[in-house]
Amino acid sequence: MSTERDNALLQKKKSQVLLAALILVALILLPKFIVGYWLRVFTVIFMFGVISQGLNIMAGYMGYIPFGNAMFYGIGAYSTAVAMSHGVPFVLSMCIGAAASVIISVLFGLPVLRLRGHYFAIATIGLAGALLSVVENATEFTGGAMGTTLPIIDKPPQQLYSYFYWGMLGLMVGTTLAMGLIMKSKFGYGIRSIKANEDAANAMGINTTYHKVVTWAISAFFTSLAGSIYAYWMSFIAPTEVFDVMLVVNGIVILLVGGMGSILGPVLGAFIFELLSELTWSHFGEYHLATLGISTILIVFLLPKGLIGKLESLKKKSIPIQDGKIY
Amino acid sequence: MTILQVNSLSKKFGALIATDNVSFKVEKGEIVGLIGPNGAGKTTITNLVTGALPKTAGDVFFRGKSINGLKPFQIAGLGLTRTFQVVQPLEGMSVEENVLVGALFGKKNRNHDLKRAKKFTDEVLHLVGLEEKRSYMVSDITLPDLKRMELARVLAMEPEIVFLDEVMAGLNPTEVDAALALVKKLRFERDLTIVYIEHIMRAVMDISDRIIVLHHGKKIVEESPRKVASHPAVIEAYLGKRYADICKVRETENG
Repeated sequence: MSTERDNALLQKKKSQVLLAALILVALILLPKFIVGYWLRVFTVIFMFGVISQGLNIMAGYMGYIPFGNAMFYGIGAYSTAVAMSHGVPFVLSMCIGAAASVIISVLFGLPVLRLRGHYFAIATIGLAGALLSVVENATEFTGGAMGTTLPIIDKPPQQLYSYFYWGMLGLMVGTTLAMGLIMKSKFGYGIRSIKANEDAANAMGINTTYHKVVTWAISAFFTSLAGSIYAYWMSFIAPTEVFDVMLVVNGIVILLVGGMGSILGPVLGAFIFELLSELTWSHFGEYHLATLGISTILIVFLLPKGLIGKLESLKKKSIPIQDGKIY
Repeated sequence: MTILQVNSLSKKFGALIATDNVSFKVEKGEIVGLIGPNGAGKTTITNLVTGALPKTAGDVFFRGKSINGLKPFQIAGLGLTRTFQVVQPLEGMSVEENVLVGALFGKKNRNHDLKRAKKFTDEVLHLVGLEEKRSYMVSDITLPDLKRMELARVLAMEPEIVFLDEVMAGLNPTEVDAALALVKKLRFERDLTIVYIEHIMRAVMDISDRIIVLHHGKKIVEESPRKVASHPAVIEAYLGKRYADICKVRETENG
Protein backbone atom coordinates (compact mmCIF):
# COMPACT_ATOMS: atom_id res chain seq x y z
CA MET A 1 0.00 0.00 0.00
CA SER A 2 2.72 2.38 0.95
CA THR A 3 5.10 1.24 -1.79
CA GLU A 4 3.77 3.88 -4.17
CA ARG A 5 4.41 6.56 -1.61
CA ASP A 6 7.81 5.12 -0.78
CA ASN A 7 8.71 5.20 -4.45
CA ALA A 8 7.58 8.79 -4.74
CA LEU A 9 9.63 9.63 -1.69
CA LEU A 10 12.66 7.85 -3.11
CA GLN A 11 12.23 9.72 -6.39
CA LYS A 12 12.08 12.98 -4.49
CA LYS A 13 15.19 12.14 -2.53
CA LYS A 14 16.99 11.17 -5.72
CA SER A 15 16.14 14.47 -7.35
CA GLN A 16 17.30 16.34 -4.25
CA VAL A 17 20.65 14.54 -4.28
CA LEU A 18 20.96 15.24 -8.00
CA LEU A 19 20.27 18.93 -7.43
CA ALA A 20 22.85 19.11 -4.64
CA ALA A 21 25.42 17.35 -6.86
CA LEU A 22 24.74 19.80 -9.71
CA ILE A 23 25.18 22.81 -7.43
CA LEU A 24 28.37 21.32 -6.05
CA VAL A 25 29.83 20.72 -9.54
CA ALA A 26 28.89 24.29 -10.50
CA LEU A 27 30.64 25.62 -7.40
CA ILE A 28 33.75 23.53 -8.12
CA LEU A 29 33.94 24.87 -11.66
CA LEU A 30 33.13 28.46 -10.67
CA PRO A 31 36.76 29.69 -10.20
CA LYS A 32 37.30 29.20 -13.95
CA PHE A 33 34.75 31.92 -14.64
CA ILE A 34 35.07 34.51 -11.91
CA VAL A 35 37.94 36.76 -10.90
CA GLY A 36 39.73 37.75 -7.70
CA TYR A 37 37.08 39.81 -5.95
CA TRP A 38 34.19 37.36 -6.31
CA LEU A 39 36.49 34.42 -5.63
CA ARG A 40 37.26 36.08 -2.33
CA VAL A 41 33.59 36.72 -1.58
CA PHE A 42 32.74 33.07 -2.14
CA THR A 43 35.65 31.87 -0.01
CA VAL A 44 34.37 34.06 2.83
CA ILE A 45 30.87 32.60 2.33
CA PHE A 46 32.24 29.07 2.69
CA MET A 47 34.23 30.12 5.74
CA PHE A 48 31.12 31.50 7.44
CA GLY A 49 29.29 28.36 6.42
CA VAL A 50 31.79 26.36 8.49
CA ILE A 51 31.71 28.75 11.47
CA SER A 52 27.90 28.68 11.44
CA GLN A 53 27.84 24.89 11.31
CA GLY A 54 30.00 24.92 14.42
CA LEU A 55 27.50 27.25 16.10
CA ASN A 56 24.52 25.33 14.74
CA ILE A 57 25.36 22.01 16.38
CA MET A 58 25.79 23.82 19.72
CA ALA A 59 23.07 26.48 19.60
CA GLY A 60 20.64 25.12 17.02
CA TYR A 61 20.64 21.47 18.08
CA MET A 62 21.86 21.40 21.68
CA GLY A 63 20.61 24.80 22.88
CA TYR A 64 23.94 26.14 24.17
CA ILE A 65 25.11 29.37 22.50
CA PRO A 66 28.92 29.30 22.37
CA PHE A 67 29.64 33.04 22.05
CA GLY A 68 33.33 32.43 22.58
CA ASN A 69 33.71 30.02 19.65
CA ALA A 70 35.96 32.57 17.92
CA MET A 71 38.69 31.30 20.24
CA PHE A 72 38.86 28.04 18.29
CA TYR A 73 39.09 30.00 15.05
CA GLY A 74 41.96 31.93 16.66
CA ILE A 75 43.62 28.79 17.98
CA GLY A 76 43.44 27.22 14.51
CA ALA A 77 44.87 30.34 12.87
CA TYR A 78 47.65 30.84 15.41
CA SER A 79 48.64 27.17 15.66
CA THR A 80 49.00 27.12 11.89
CA ALA A 81 51.02 30.34 11.85
CA VAL A 82 53.38 29.28 14.64
CA ALA A 83 53.80 25.71 13.37
CA MET A 84 54.44 26.81 9.78
CA SER A 85 57.01 29.39 10.90
CA HIS A 86 58.87 26.41 12.37
CA GLY A 87 58.79 24.63 9.03
CA VAL A 88 55.83 22.29 9.66
CA PRO A 89 53.81 21.62 6.47
CA PHE A 90 50.35 23.19 6.22
CA VAL A 91 48.18 20.09 6.53
CA LEU A 92 50.06 18.96 9.63
CA SER A 93 49.83 22.47 11.13
CA MET A 94 46.11 22.40 10.53
CA CYS A 95 45.87 19.09 12.41
CA ILE A 96 47.95 20.50 15.28
CA GLY A 97 45.54 23.46 15.51
CA ALA A 98 42.50 21.18 15.44
CA ALA A 99 44.00 18.94 18.14
CA ALA A 100 44.77 21.98 20.30
CA SER A 101 41.20 23.26 19.86
CA VAL A 102 39.69 19.92 20.76
CA ILE A 103 41.89 19.59 23.87
CA ILE A 104 41.06 23.13 25.04
CA SER A 105 37.33 22.67 24.39
CA VAL A 106 37.32 19.49 26.49
CA LEU A 107 39.40 21.02 29.31
CA PHE A 108 37.19 24.11 29.48
CA GLY A 109 34.02 22.27 28.59
CA LEU A 110 34.10 19.97 31.59
CA PRO A 111 33.67 22.82 34.09
CA VAL A 112 31.97 25.44 31.89
CA LEU A 113 29.29 23.18 30.40
CA ARG A 114 27.88 22.71 33.89
CA LEU A 115 26.48 26.20 33.38
CA ARG A 116 23.25 26.44 31.49
CA GLY A 117 21.83 28.98 29.06
CA HIS A 118 23.15 32.53 29.22
CA TYR A 119 25.72 31.70 31.87
CA PHE A 120 27.45 29.31 29.52
CA ALA A 121 27.41 31.90 26.69
CA ILE A 122 28.98 34.53 28.95
CA ALA A 123 31.59 32.16 30.36
CA THR A 124 32.79 31.30 26.84
CA ILE A 125 33.19 35.01 26.02
CA GLY A 126 35.39 35.29 29.11
CA LEU A 127 37.50 32.34 27.99
CA ALA A 128 37.92 33.78 24.50
CA GLY A 129 39.02 37.09 26.04
CA ALA A 130 41.54 35.34 28.27
CA LEU A 131 43.01 33.41 25.34
CA LEU A 132 43.24 36.63 23.31
CA SER A 133 45.30 38.20 26.12
CA VAL A 134 47.58 35.18 26.23
CA VAL A 135 48.22 35.37 22.48
CA GLU A 136 48.76 39.15 22.60
CA ASN A 137 51.28 38.88 25.42
CA ALA A 138 53.25 35.80 24.44
CA THR A 139 55.14 38.03 22.03
CA GLU A 140 58.22 35.90 21.33
CA PHE A 141 56.00 32.93 20.49
CA THR A 142 53.06 34.50 18.64
CA GLY A 143 54.34 37.88 17.49
CA GLY A 144 52.13 39.60 20.03
CA ALA A 145 49.51 42.24 19.30
CA MET A 146 51.33 43.21 16.09
CA GLY A 147 50.27 39.95 14.47
CA THR A 148 52.34 37.42 12.61
CA THR A 149 53.00 36.32 9.05
CA LEU A 150 52.75 32.96 7.32
CA PRO A 151 54.77 31.72 4.35
CA ILE A 152 53.47 32.99 1.01
CA ILE A 153 52.89 30.47 -1.77
CA ASP A 154 54.72 31.42 -4.95
CA LYS A 155 51.86 31.10 -7.48
CA PRO A 156 49.90 33.55 -9.63
CA PRO A 157 47.01 35.16 -7.64
CA GLN A 158 44.11 33.65 -9.61
CA GLN A 159 45.47 30.14 -9.13
CA LEU A 160 46.33 30.80 -5.51
CA TYR A 161 42.90 32.15 -4.67
CA SER A 162 41.32 29.21 -6.48
CA TYR A 163 43.22 26.82 -4.20
CA PHE A 164 41.84 28.50 -1.08
CA TYR A 165 38.38 28.67 -2.65
CA TRP A 166 38.42 24.90 -3.20
CA GLY A 167 39.95 24.29 0.20
CA MET A 168 37.24 26.28 1.99
CA LEU A 169 34.49 24.79 -0.22
CA GLY A 170 35.75 21.29 0.60
CA LEU A 171 35.78 22.10 4.30
CA MET A 172 32.24 23.47 4.18
CA VAL A 173 30.91 20.44 2.30
CA GLY A 174 32.80 18.08 4.60
CA THR A 175 31.52 19.87 7.71
CA THR A 176 27.94 19.83 6.43
CA LEU A 177 28.08 16.11 5.60
CA ALA A 178 29.64 15.33 8.97
CA MET A 179 26.94 17.31 10.78
CA GLY A 180 24.25 15.56 8.75
CA LEU A 181 25.62 12.14 9.73
CA ILE A 182 26.02 13.12 13.38
CA MET A 183 22.46 14.42 13.65
CA LYS A 184 21.05 11.22 12.16
CA SER A 185 22.94 9.06 14.65
CA LYS A 186 22.14 8.02 18.20
CA PHE A 187 24.50 10.74 19.39
CA GLY A 188 22.46 13.29 17.43
CA TYR A 189 19.27 12.26 19.22
CA GLY A 190 21.13 12.68 22.49
CA ILE A 191 22.13 16.25 21.57
CA ARG A 192 18.60 17.20 20.53
CA SER A 193 17.17 15.78 23.75
CA ILE A 194 19.43 18.08 25.75
CA LYS A 195 17.96 21.13 24.03
CA ALA A 196 14.46 19.72 24.35
CA ASN A 197 14.61 19.05 28.08
CA GLU A 198 17.91 18.49 29.82
CA ASP A 199 16.47 17.03 33.04
CA ALA A 200 14.25 14.61 31.16
CA ALA A 201 17.20 13.65 28.95
CA ASN A 202 19.26 12.83 32.02
CA ALA A 203 16.44 10.77 33.52
CA MET A 204 16.12 8.88 30.24
CA GLY A 205 19.65 7.56 30.50
CA ILE A 206 21.53 10.15 28.44
CA ASN A 207 24.94 11.10 29.80
CA THR A 208 24.37 14.80 29.27
CA THR A 209 27.84 15.97 30.34
CA TYR A 210 29.53 13.60 27.90
CA HIS A 211 27.23 14.69 25.07
CA LYS A 212 27.77 18.38 25.78
CA VAL A 213 31.56 18.14 25.97
CA VAL A 214 31.90 16.00 22.84
CA THR A 215 29.55 18.30 20.91
CA TRP A 216 31.59 21.35 21.82
CA ALA A 217 34.76 19.49 20.79
CA ILE A 218 33.19 18.74 17.38
CA SER A 219 32.22 22.39 17.07
CA ALA A 220 35.77 23.45 18.04
CA PHE A 221 37.34 21.01 15.58
CA PHE A 222 35.62 22.39 12.49
CA THR A 223 35.87 26.04 13.56
CA SER A 224 39.59 25.55 14.09
CA LEU A 225 40.06 24.11 10.58
CA ALA A 226 38.36 27.19 9.11
CA GLY A 227 40.76 29.40 11.11
CA SER A 228 43.77 27.46 9.80
CA ILE A 229 42.78 27.84 6.15
CA TYR A 230 41.98 31.52 6.72
CA ALA A 231 45.43 32.16 8.22
CA TYR A 232 47.26 30.53 5.32
CA TRP A 233 45.01 32.34 2.85
CA MET A 234 45.63 35.80 4.37
CA SER A 235 49.29 35.03 5.13
CA PHE A 236 49.06 37.65 7.87
CA ILE A 237 46.95 37.43 11.03
CA ALA A 238 46.49 39.67 14.06
CA PRO A 239 45.05 38.50 17.42
CA THR A 240 42.09 40.89 17.51
CA GLU A 241 41.10 39.80 14.02
CA VAL A 242 41.01 36.02 14.51
CA PHE A 243 39.72 36.14 18.11
CA ASP A 244 37.02 38.64 17.06
CA VAL A 245 33.64 38.02 18.72
CA MET A 246 32.02 39.51 15.58
CA LEU A 247 32.86 36.27 13.77
CA VAL A 248 30.41 34.54 16.10
CA VAL A 249 27.85 37.35 15.99
CA ASN A 250 27.83 37.16 12.17
CA GLY A 251 27.61 33.40 12.42
CA ILE A 252 24.56 33.64 14.66
CA VAL A 253 22.85 36.11 12.32
CA ILE A 254 23.55 33.65 9.51
CA LEU A 255 21.95 30.91 11.58
CA LEU A 256 18.89 33.05 12.21
CA VAL A 257 18.55 33.87 8.52
CA GLY A 258 19.15 30.32 7.30
CA GLY A 259 17.39 28.42 10.05
CA MET A 260 18.67 27.13 13.38
CA GLY A 261 18.71 23.41 13.89
CA SER A 262 18.68 22.41 10.24
CA ILE A 263 21.64 20.98 8.35
CA LEU A 264 21.46 23.27 5.33
CA GLY A 265 20.43 26.38 7.29
CA PRO A 266 23.98 27.60 7.95
CA VAL A 267 25.03 27.10 4.32
CA LEU A 268 21.99 28.87 2.90
CA GLY A 269 22.25 31.60 5.52
CA ALA A 270 25.94 32.20 4.75
CA PHE A 271 25.18 32.68 1.05
CA ILE A 272 22.31 35.08 1.65
CA PHE A 273 23.93 37.07 4.43
CA GLU A 274 27.29 37.51 2.72
CA LEU A 275 25.82 38.31 -0.70
CA LEU A 276 23.45 40.78 0.97
CA SER A 277 26.38 42.31 2.80
CA GLU A 278 28.33 42.66 -0.48
CA LEU A 279 25.34 44.17 -2.25
CA THR A 280 24.62 46.74 0.45
CA TRP A 281 28.31 47.58 0.63
CA SER A 282 28.60 48.21 -3.10
CA HIS A 283 25.26 50.02 -3.51
CA PHE A 284 24.78 51.99 -0.32
CA GLY A 285 28.36 52.92 0.49
CA GLU A 286 28.56 54.49 3.91
CA TYR A 287 25.05 53.42 4.84
CA HIS A 288 25.78 49.78 4.16
CA LEU A 289 25.84 48.66 7.80
CA ALA A 290 22.47 50.32 8.46
CA THR A 291 20.92 48.75 5.35
CA LEU A 292 22.41 45.37 6.19
CA GLY A 293 21.12 45.62 9.75
CA ILE A 294 17.62 46.58 8.67
CA SER A 295 17.41 43.83 6.06
CA THR A 296 18.61 41.30 8.62
CA ILE A 297 15.96 42.45 11.09
CA LEU A 298 13.32 42.19 8.37
CA ILE A 299 14.38 38.66 7.42
CA VAL A 300 14.42 37.49 11.02
CA PHE A 301 11.08 39.21 11.64
CA LEU A 302 9.38 37.73 8.61
CA LEU A 303 11.00 34.30 8.86
CA PRO A 304 11.33 33.55 12.57
CA LYS A 305 12.42 29.98 11.88
CA GLY A 306 14.77 30.99 9.08
CA LEU A 307 14.52 30.18 5.41
CA ILE A 308 14.78 26.43 5.90
CA GLY A 309 12.04 26.53 8.54
CA LYS A 310 9.79 28.44 6.14
CA LEU A 311 10.45 25.98 3.33
CA GLU A 312 9.71 23.05 5.62
CA SER A 313 6.43 24.46 6.87
CA LEU A 314 5.36 25.05 3.25
CA LYS A 315 6.30 21.47 2.41
CA LYS A 316 4.41 20.07 5.40
CA LYS A 317 1.21 21.78 4.33
CA SER A 318 1.40 20.25 0.86
CA ILE A 319 1.92 16.67 2.06
CA PRO A 320 -1.11 14.66 3.23
CA ILE A 321 -1.03 12.63 6.41
CA GLN A 322 -2.03 8.98 6.23
CA ASP A 323 -2.03 6.38 8.99
CA GLY A 324 -0.69 9.12 11.19
CA LYS A 325 2.60 8.97 9.33
CA ILE A 326 3.87 11.97 7.45
CA TYR A 327 5.12 10.85 4.09
CA MET B 1 13.49 -11.41 45.01
CA THR B 2 13.95 -7.92 46.43
CA ILE B 3 14.57 -5.56 43.54
CA LEU B 4 14.67 -2.30 45.44
CA GLN B 5 15.57 -1.71 49.04
CA VAL B 6 15.46 1.70 50.68
CA ASN B 7 17.07 2.03 54.12
CA SER B 8 16.46 5.00 56.47
CA LEU B 9 16.22 7.50 53.64
CA SER B 10 16.19 11.16 54.75
CA LYS B 11 16.17 14.50 53.00
CA LYS B 12 16.31 17.95 54.55
CA PHE B 13 15.64 21.19 52.71
CA GLY B 14 17.09 23.61 55.25
CA ALA B 15 14.93 23.18 58.36
CA LEU B 16 12.22 21.26 56.51
CA ILE B 17 12.46 17.50 56.74
CA ALA B 18 10.91 16.34 53.47
CA THR B 19 11.76 12.69 53.94
CA ASP B 20 12.23 11.37 57.45
CA ASN B 21 13.93 8.02 57.95
CA VAL B 22 11.85 6.09 55.41
CA SER B 23 12.60 2.41 54.72
CA PHE B 24 10.81 0.02 52.41
CA LYS B 25 11.36 -2.90 50.05
CA VAL B 26 9.92 -3.71 46.65
CA GLU B 27 9.79 -7.31 45.39
CA LYS B 28 10.05 -8.21 41.72
CA GLY B 29 6.71 -8.06 39.92
CA GLU B 30 4.95 -6.12 42.67
CA ILE B 31 2.93 -2.96 42.40
CA VAL B 32 3.50 -0.86 45.48
CA GLY B 33 1.27 2.14 46.00
CA LEU B 34 2.84 5.24 47.56
CA ILE B 35 0.21 7.62 48.88
CA GLY B 36 -0.11 10.53 51.28
CA PRO B 37 -1.61 14.00 51.49
CA ASN B 38 -0.11 16.84 49.44
CA GLY B 39 3.43 17.57 50.58
CA ALA B 40 3.87 14.20 52.26
CA GLY B 41 7.11 13.65 50.35
CA LYS B 42 6.13 11.17 47.64
CA THR B 43 7.83 12.92 44.75
CA THR B 44 10.85 13.69 46.94
CA ILE B 45 11.33 9.96 47.49
CA THR B 46 11.15 9.41 43.74
CA ASN B 47 13.74 12.13 43.21
CA LEU B 48 16.03 10.66 45.86
CA VAL B 49 15.81 7.09 44.59
CA THR B 50 16.37 8.02 40.91
CA GLY B 51 19.27 10.34 41.75
CA ALA B 52 17.60 13.60 40.70
CA LEU B 53 18.20 14.98 44.23
CA PRO B 54 21.11 14.21 46.58
CA LYS B 55 20.01 12.51 49.79
CA THR B 56 20.84 13.76 53.26
CA ALA B 57 21.11 10.26 54.70
CA GLY B 58 20.21 6.67 53.94
CA ASP B 59 20.99 3.97 51.39
CA VAL B 60 19.29 2.72 48.26
CA PHE B 61 20.01 -0.74 46.90
CA PHE B 62 18.95 -1.83 43.43
CA ARG B 63 19.20 -5.59 42.87
CA GLY B 64 21.29 -5.81 46.00
CA LYS B 65 23.84 -3.23 44.87
CA SER B 66 24.17 0.24 46.35
CA ILE B 67 23.25 3.03 43.92
CA ASN B 68 24.19 5.83 46.31
CA GLY B 69 25.79 8.78 44.54
CA LEU B 70 25.02 7.58 41.02
CA LYS B 71 23.76 10.15 38.49
CA PRO B 72 20.21 9.89 37.08
CA PHE B 73 21.44 8.66 33.70
CA GLN B 74 23.49 5.91 35.37
CA ILE B 75 20.52 4.80 37.47
CA ALA B 76 18.31 4.82 34.38
CA GLY B 77 20.99 2.78 32.64
CA LEU B 78 20.70 0.11 35.34
CA GLY B 79 16.96 -0.20 34.75
CA LEU B 80 15.39 2.05 37.39
CA THR B 81 13.19 4.67 35.75
CA ARG B 82 10.49 7.20 36.52
CA THR B 83 7.81 9.32 34.95
CA PHE B 84 7.32 12.94 35.98
CA GLN B 85 4.40 14.34 37.93
CA VAL B 86 4.46 17.36 35.64
CA VAL B 87 4.97 15.84 32.20
CA GLN B 88 8.45 16.43 30.81
CA PRO B 89 8.24 15.82 27.07
CA LEU B 90 11.22 16.48 24.82
CA GLU B 91 9.91 19.73 23.32
CA GLY B 92 10.26 20.28 19.61
CA MET B 93 10.27 16.56 18.88
CA SER B 94 7.51 14.27 17.65
CA VAL B 95 5.82 11.62 19.78
CA GLU B 96 7.74 8.97 17.89
CA GLU B 97 11.08 10.68 18.44
CA ASN B 98 10.39 11.03 22.16
CA VAL B 99 9.86 7.30 22.42
CA LEU B 100 12.81 6.58 20.13
CA VAL B 101 15.16 8.46 22.47
CA GLY B 102 13.98 6.17 25.26
CA ALA B 103 14.68 3.12 23.10
CA LEU B 104 18.11 4.40 22.04
CA PHE B 105 19.27 5.26 25.53
CA GLY B 106 17.42 3.95 28.59
CA LYS B 107 18.69 0.66 29.94
CA LYS B 108 22.29 -0.08 29.06
CA ASN B 109 23.77 -3.02 27.17
CA ARG B 110 20.78 -3.73 24.98
CA ASN B 111 22.79 -3.31 21.76
CA HIS B 112 20.11 -1.11 20.29
CA ASP B 113 21.26 0.38 17.04
CA LEU B 114 19.05 2.92 15.30
CA LYS B 115 17.23 0.31 13.23
CA ARG B 116 16.39 -1.95 16.14
CA ALA B 117 15.45 1.00 18.31
CA LYS B 118 13.02 2.18 15.65
CA LYS B 119 11.42 -1.23 15.46
CA PHE B 120 11.10 -1.37 19.21
CA THR B 121 9.57 2.12 19.18
CA ASP B 122 6.88 0.88 16.79
CA GLU B 123 6.14 -1.98 19.16
CA VAL B 124 5.79 0.26 22.20
CA LEU B 125 3.67 2.83 20.37
CA HIS B 126 1.34 0.02 19.38
CA LEU B 127 1.19 -1.26 22.94
CA VAL B 128 0.11 2.07 24.45
CA GLY B 129 -2.12 2.92 21.49
CA LEU B 130 -0.32 6.00 20.22
CA GLU B 131 0.41 4.73 16.72
CA GLU B 132 -1.94 7.16 15.07
CA LYS B 133 -0.37 10.15 16.72
CA ARG B 134 3.22 9.12 16.26
CA SER B 135 4.24 11.98 13.98
CA TYR B 136 2.47 14.69 15.97
CA MET B 137 4.70 17.19 17.74
CA VAL B 138 4.45 16.86 21.52
CA SER B 139 3.11 20.43 21.69
CA ASP B 140 0.11 19.35 19.59
CA ILE B 141 -1.26 16.48 21.69
CA THR B 142 -3.56 16.48 24.72
CA LEU B 143 -2.56 15.86 28.33
CA PRO B 144 -3.86 12.25 28.41
CA ASP B 145 -1.83 11.54 25.28
CA LEU B 146 1.23 13.20 26.80
CA LYS B 147 0.91 10.95 29.85
CA ARG B 148 0.50 7.97 27.52
CA MET B 149 3.62 9.09 25.68
CA GLU B 150 5.57 9.31 28.94
CA LEU B 151 4.52 5.75 29.69
CA ALA B 152 5.60 4.68 26.21
CA ARG B 153 8.91 6.44 26.64
CA VAL B 154 9.54 4.71 29.94
CA LEU B 155 8.63 1.33 28.43
CA ALA B 156 10.98 1.96 25.53
CA MET B 157 13.75 2.26 28.10
CA GLU B 158 13.03 -1.35 29.13
CA PRO B 159 13.29 -0.75 32.87
CA GLU B 160 12.95 -3.37 35.58
CA ILE B 161 11.26 -1.02 37.99
CA VAL B 162 9.36 2.20 37.33
CA PHE B 163 8.24 4.99 39.62
CA LEU B 164 4.98 6.19 38.10
CA ASP B 165 4.51 9.67 39.57
CA GLU B 166 0.85 10.61 39.26
CA VAL B 167 0.37 9.38 35.72
CA MET B 168 -3.36 9.95 36.13
CA ALA B 169 -3.33 13.46 37.55
CA GLY B 170 -5.47 15.77 35.45
CA LEU B 171 -7.36 12.97 33.72
CA ASN B 172 -11.15 12.70 33.82
CA PRO B 173 -12.83 9.49 35.14
CA THR B 174 -13.09 7.85 31.70
CA GLU B 175 -9.47 8.61 30.98
CA VAL B 176 -8.50 7.24 34.39
CA ASP B 177 -10.20 3.95 33.52
CA ALA B 178 -8.34 3.78 30.23
CA ALA B 179 -5.02 4.57 31.92
CA LEU B 180 -5.71 2.02 34.64
CA ALA B 181 -6.38 -0.68 32.05
CA LEU B 182 -3.16 0.28 30.31
CA VAL B 183 -1.02 0.07 33.45
CA LYS B 184 -2.52 -3.35 34.25
CA LYS B 185 -1.83 -4.54 30.73
CA LEU B 186 1.75 -3.31 30.88
CA ARG B 187 2.34 -5.06 34.16
CA PHE B 188 1.50 -8.42 32.64
CA GLU B 189 2.91 -7.94 29.17
CA ARG B 190 6.18 -6.33 30.23
CA ASP B 191 6.68 -8.00 33.59
CA LEU B 192 7.13 -4.61 35.22
CA THR B 193 7.70 -3.81 38.84
CA ILE B 194 5.95 -0.57 39.69
CA VAL B 195 6.05 1.95 42.50
CA TYR B 196 2.79 3.74 41.99
CA ILE B 197 2.31 7.28 43.28
CA GLU B 198 -1.23 8.52 42.99
CA HIS B 199 -3.87 10.76 44.54
CA ILE B 200 -6.79 9.03 42.90
CA MET B 201 -7.68 6.47 45.60
CA ARG B 202 -9.85 4.39 43.31
CA ALA B 203 -6.85 3.77 41.07
CA VAL B 204 -4.38 3.00 43.86
CA MET B 205 -6.77 0.67 45.67
CA ASP B 206 -7.56 -1.16 42.48
CA ILE B 207 -4.05 -1.74 41.30
CA SER B 208 -1.68 -2.02 44.27
CA ASP B 209 -0.54 -5.18 46.00
CA ARG B 210 0.64 -3.18 48.97
CA ILE B 211 0.34 0.46 49.97
CA ILE B 212 2.79 2.68 51.81
CA VAL B 213 1.31 5.81 53.39
CA LEU B 214 3.49 8.86 53.96
CA HIS B 215 2.69 11.82 56.18
CA HIS B 216 5.01 14.78 56.83
CA GLY B 217 7.86 12.81 55.28
CA LYS B 218 7.40 9.80 57.59
CA LYS B 219 6.13 6.36 56.69
CA ILE B 220 3.07 5.89 58.89
CA VAL B 221 1.49 2.72 57.51
CA GLU B 222 2.41 -0.14 55.20
CA GLU B 223 -0.53 -2.47 54.57
CA SER B 224 -2.70 -4.17 51.99
CA PRO B 225 -5.11 -1.80 50.17
CA ARG B 226 -8.15 -3.06 52.09
CA LYS B 227 -6.58 -2.46 55.50
CA VAL B 228 -5.10 0.91 54.57
CA ALA B 229 -8.50 2.39 53.77
CA SER B 230 -9.77 1.84 57.28
CA HIS B 231 -6.52 2.40 59.15
CA PRO B 232 -7.00 5.11 61.85
CA ALA B 233 -3.58 6.70 61.22
CA VAL B 234 -4.41 7.08 57.53
CA ILE B 235 -7.80 8.59 58.23
CA GLU B 236 -6.16 10.98 60.66
CA ALA B 237 -3.53 12.01 58.13
CA TYR B 238 -6.09 12.72 55.43
CA LEU B 239 -9.11 13.95 57.37
CA GLY B 240 -7.73 15.16 60.70
CA LYS B 241 -7.62 13.82 64.28
CA ARG B 242 -11.21 14.75 65.20
CA TYR B 243 -12.68 12.83 62.29
CA ALA B 244 -10.48 9.85 63.10
CA ASP B 245 -11.72 9.90 66.71
CA ILE B 246 -15.34 10.00 65.55
CA CYS B 247 -14.63 6.97 63.35
CA LYS B 248 -13.11 5.12 66.31
CA VAL B 249 -16.11 5.87 68.49
CA ARG B 250 -18.49 4.70 65.76
CA GLU B 251 -16.51 1.51 65.28
CA THR B 252 -16.71 0.66 68.99
CA GLU B 253 -20.42 1.56 69.05
CA ASN B 254 -21.06 -0.76 66.15
CA GLY B 255 -19.27 -3.46 68.05
